[in-house]
Amino acid sequence: MSKDPKNKLAFLSMPAPASYVAGLGRGASGFTTRSDIGPAREGPSEEVIAEARAKRGEEEQPDPEQFQDPDNEYGLFAGMTYEADDEEADRIYEQVDEAMDSRRKIRREAREQDELNKHRAERPKIQQQFADLKRGLSSVTDEEWESIPEVGNLTRRKKRRGENDRTYVVPDSVIVGDRSKGEFESALDAGQQANGGFETPATDGSGTLTNFVEIGQARDKLLSIKLDQLSSSTASSSGLSTSIDPKGYLTSLSSIQIKSDAEIGDIKRARMLFDSLVKSNPKHAPGWIAAACLEEHAGRMVAARKIIKMGCEQCPKSEDVWLEAARLHNNDDAKVILANAVQHVGQSVKIWLAAADLEHDVKAKKRVLRKALEHIPTSVRLWKETVNLESSAPDARILLARAVEVIPASVELWLALARLETPDKAKSVLNKARKSVPTSHEIWIAAGRLLEQEATREDTGKTEDKRAKELEAVDKTIEAGVKELRRHQVLLTRDQWLKEAERCESEGSPRTCEAIVKATVGMELEEDEDRYDTWVSDAQSALGRGHIGTARAILAYALKFFPERRDLWRLAADLEKTHGTPSSLDALLSRAVEHVPNAEVLWLMRAKERWMQGDVAGAREVLVKAFDTNPESEQIWLAAVKLEAENGELGVARELLGRARSVADTERIWMKSAVFERQQSQYTSALQTLSTAIQKFPKFPKLYMIQGQIYAQHLKNVPAARTAFANGIKACPKEPTLWILASRLEEHDGKSIKARALLEKARLAVPKDERLWAESARVEERSSGAGSAQAKSMLARALQECPTSGLLWSMSIWAEPRPTRKSRSVDALKKSSDDPLIVCTVARLFWQERKIEKAREWFRRAVKADKDLGDVWGWWLKFEKQHGTEEYQEIVKRECESAEPRHGEVWQSVNKDDRNVGKRVREVLELVCEALA
Amino acid sequence: MSYFLPHLPSGWHVDEAIKSEEDRVVVIRFGHDWDPQCMTMDETLYGISEKVQNFAVVYLVDITDVPDFNKMYELYDPCTVMFFYRNKHIMIDLGTGNNNKINWAMDNKQELIDIIETVYRGASKGRGLVVSPKDYSTRYRY
Repeated sequence: MSKDPKNKLAFLSMPAPASYVAGLGRGASGFTTRSDIGPAREGPSEEVIAEARAKRGEEEQPDPEQFQDPDNEYGLFAGMTYEADDEEADRIYEQVDEAMDSRRKIRREAREQDELNKHRAERPKIQQQFADLKRGLSSVTDEEWESIPEVGNLTRRKKRRGENDRTYVVPDSVIVGDRSKGEFESALDAGQQANGGFETPATDGSGTLTNFVEIGQARDKLLSIKLDQLSSSTASSSGLSTSIDPKGYLTSLSSIQIKSDAEIGDIKRARMLFDSLVKSNPKHAPGWIAAACLEEHAGRMVAARKIIKMGCEQCPKSEDVWLEAARLHNNDDAKVILANAVQHVGQSVKIWLAAADLEHDVKAKKRVLRKALEHIPTSVRLWKETVNLESSAPDARILLARAVEVIPASVELWLALARLETPDKAKSVLNKARKSVPTSHEIWIAAGRLLEQEATREDTGKTEDKRAKELEAVDKTIEAGVKELRRHQVLLTRDQWLKEAERCESEGSPRTCEAIVKATVGMELEEDEDRYDTWVSDAQSALGRGHIGTARAILAYALKFFPERRDLWRLAADLEKTHGTPSSLDALLSRAVEHVPNAEVLWLMRAKERWMQGDVAGAREVLVKAFDTNPESEQIWLAAVKLEAENGELGVARELLGRARSVADTERIWMKSAVFERQQSQYTSALQTLSTAIQKFPKFPKLYMIQGQIYAQHLKNVPAARTAFANGIKACPKEPTLWILASRLEEHDGKSIKARALLEKARLAVPKDERLWAESARVEERSSGAGSAQAKSMLARALQECPTSGLLWSMSIWAEPRPTRKSRSVDALKKSSDDPLIVCTVARLFWQERKIEKAREWFRRAVKADKDLGDVWGWWLKFEKQHGTEEYQEIVKRECESAEPRHGEVWQSVNKDDRNVGKRVREVLELVCEALA
Repeated sequence: MSYFLPHLPSGWHVDEAIKSEEDRVVVIRFGHDWDPQCMTMDETLYGISEKVQNFAVVYLVDITDVPDFNKMYELYDPCTVMFFYRNKHIMIDLGTGNNNKINWAMDNKQELIDIIETVYRGASKGRGLVVSPKDYSTRYRY
């Protein structure tokens, strides 16, 4: 069947093929309606087919079974003739058989008969079993034969019996209903007559009446009860029911306990249990308390009070019982109870404190506490409460002085006293304290902090030297403290000390903190390696908790021990950079480069910091020093070149590069020289440099790229560029960027076909590379419009090759029509496990739908996922420019500046453009934002 | 009128004609152009062939020139019309006892259109046998 509609009927004008069998070609089958007029034949007949075959020149294949003997198909001698000697042989064989058969024939037959008889006796035939009965059949007459009943159908299933003939009693309702079926009611009943017709009987005052008035009243009553409860619970504070807190109303309603039956049952049982408990063991205080609590819980305050009163009588020595009793009574009664209690248990601090709490008046409280102190002078708690009540410092001081006399071992009291004293006296107080409690590290730390406070006080007009000396004293104090403590067998661990140091820092004594770290951070650590690791981790954890001073002190101490460790210096420098001042950073870095002159990073950091501060000369100086120690370092050379170039000293920069090439002969330096020349538009010299470089480093792909770009963009020499790229591809076939550049060159030259071929080759050389696939898809898009079938199929293939590529997924999302983009993006997020590019794409989708907040959130998420991706920043800024305020734009720019992105397709192309050399991140971001479409 | 309808000169052409249609009923009249019954039938067929061209196509076959199907399809009547759809012979219950074909000459165009439409509707639903809208048992007797 031809598919083309134009040619569908072309067969009409075509000649029929020779010897075609009609109907065979389409497998037609005939039919037979009437056998009298036609044969019962299906399809074309055998003869017709055979004839056609003959006509076509096909030879009829001979049937291999054609001459097969129908009777004996497979016998060995089946085809032979039966001759006379055969007949004779057969006869002889038969005679032999007969002779063999006749031997012992009689005996054999007898035995067989025997066996048969035996077998029959065991299992007689049915015929034999009924033989006698059968014989009796001869006497049956014809009538008798006729009257033998027919055998019924035994196979029929048993009918379910009695389904139809079972009877049931008819229910009365049916009978009554049946009786009144045909009746008509023509008279009104009594009720209807009384009430005048068909009114509902609900109003006749019967028992089923619903009295709405009563229901309403009941509800009102319930509400008023609840309100009463509330007002009584708040009455102690205000006594007014209008003081109900509207917010707390519902929550307090839900907290009112409604006791269910089960709970009440529980309470009854518990009451019995506690009853027996206090009876059997009346001296057991907790039993009394529990029994009272139960009654209180059940809402029977009077019973509770009664029980606890008995409890007090039974166990007067238990302070808990007294306290419970006080709790269960109101304020005045509680006072009396506690006064009683004091007589029994005068040494109980708790009871005294409770008694003091009951007093509302400060004076009365003081009185109670004084009395308590008379009874229990050694309670720190009581002293503290007493001192807290004192409002004037001198009184408190006197109290504390007395307190430390009575309890010299209480560090807290000593510290409190020292805090209240003037600095000079405080010193003596602390000294005294130290003597009385030689095992307390708090006192030593307090001493250190006191010294620090003194030293750093502003109003004294001390000179710097003196101040420094005094601060030295802090170190000494802490050191002496640690020694002293060790002498007294007080061994705090390092971690404890560090915690103390952190606390000092957070309480505003950085110097003491430092001193503690200095004195203690080296404890317990013997091995050098061990020390180093522990210190670094300590510093990092301190930093993580936000204790910068502690971290700084630890690092400073560590650096004293390991001045040659460059990563330690780096750590310290990072700390200073983020938390310190530029001058402190510079000081640290200068010390660092003294100790580790080979650490390029530190040199570069220092130079950059100086440069960032605007001190170009200083930076230069730093770099010069760096050269002295690291003449071979390409990084320093390049930093120097960059410094000079960006400050306009082009000649110097060029000279520097020349020297760098001779001194540090690396591929990056060569590349940078070429780039430098290109930036200065010295294309010939750049090309010269490049050709030398390529001879030296033939495997460095960037050289070819620059060469090709110079030819293509600046000199407009497409063939030369093509050869440059071709050489590059030959030298480094695994470099996708080279392939892409080569393909772009072809495309730019208007040879999309060639670009396509190049990319195909590239994909072979570098399989599973998302950038190559993306470029291929883009070539299709550019040549036949976005969303074209070719581009789409290319993308589909690409996604098969790189199923997790965010770049490809985002392209495929944009290639979809708008309604299906969302579902596509969900797929993409799943497949590419939240690639930042996909997240950015989702943000852009939201942006398109004007879901501003959501878009912003997704942009933030994308940026968080990968800060280094400049394109995302660009998109975000663009979004904010359209929908956000100035502040939002500023935030994006600032964050971008701190992130310093370096990757992203558009970002890289903008950033590396010759026109944008030396632009700040902020400017580049603006350009990227414009370039994004 | 047979002159205006396409003729199929050989068995191969008949097969091709039946196979060529994807979504139309192929109506084939077997007979002779000179036969009076066929002339009537051809007149009717020509009259409707334009009207049914969206769902059917009509061909004529001379059973003397193309004797290939005479046995297979029992072409012993002077005029026989058969229906095919996608290379499948569609039977139609006309009430005459022979469901395979129309073996008399019809002169009512609307009736023929109705029959072809019924065949088309049934066949496109996958039926092999459709029921004619009108019963022809009284019209034509054996």
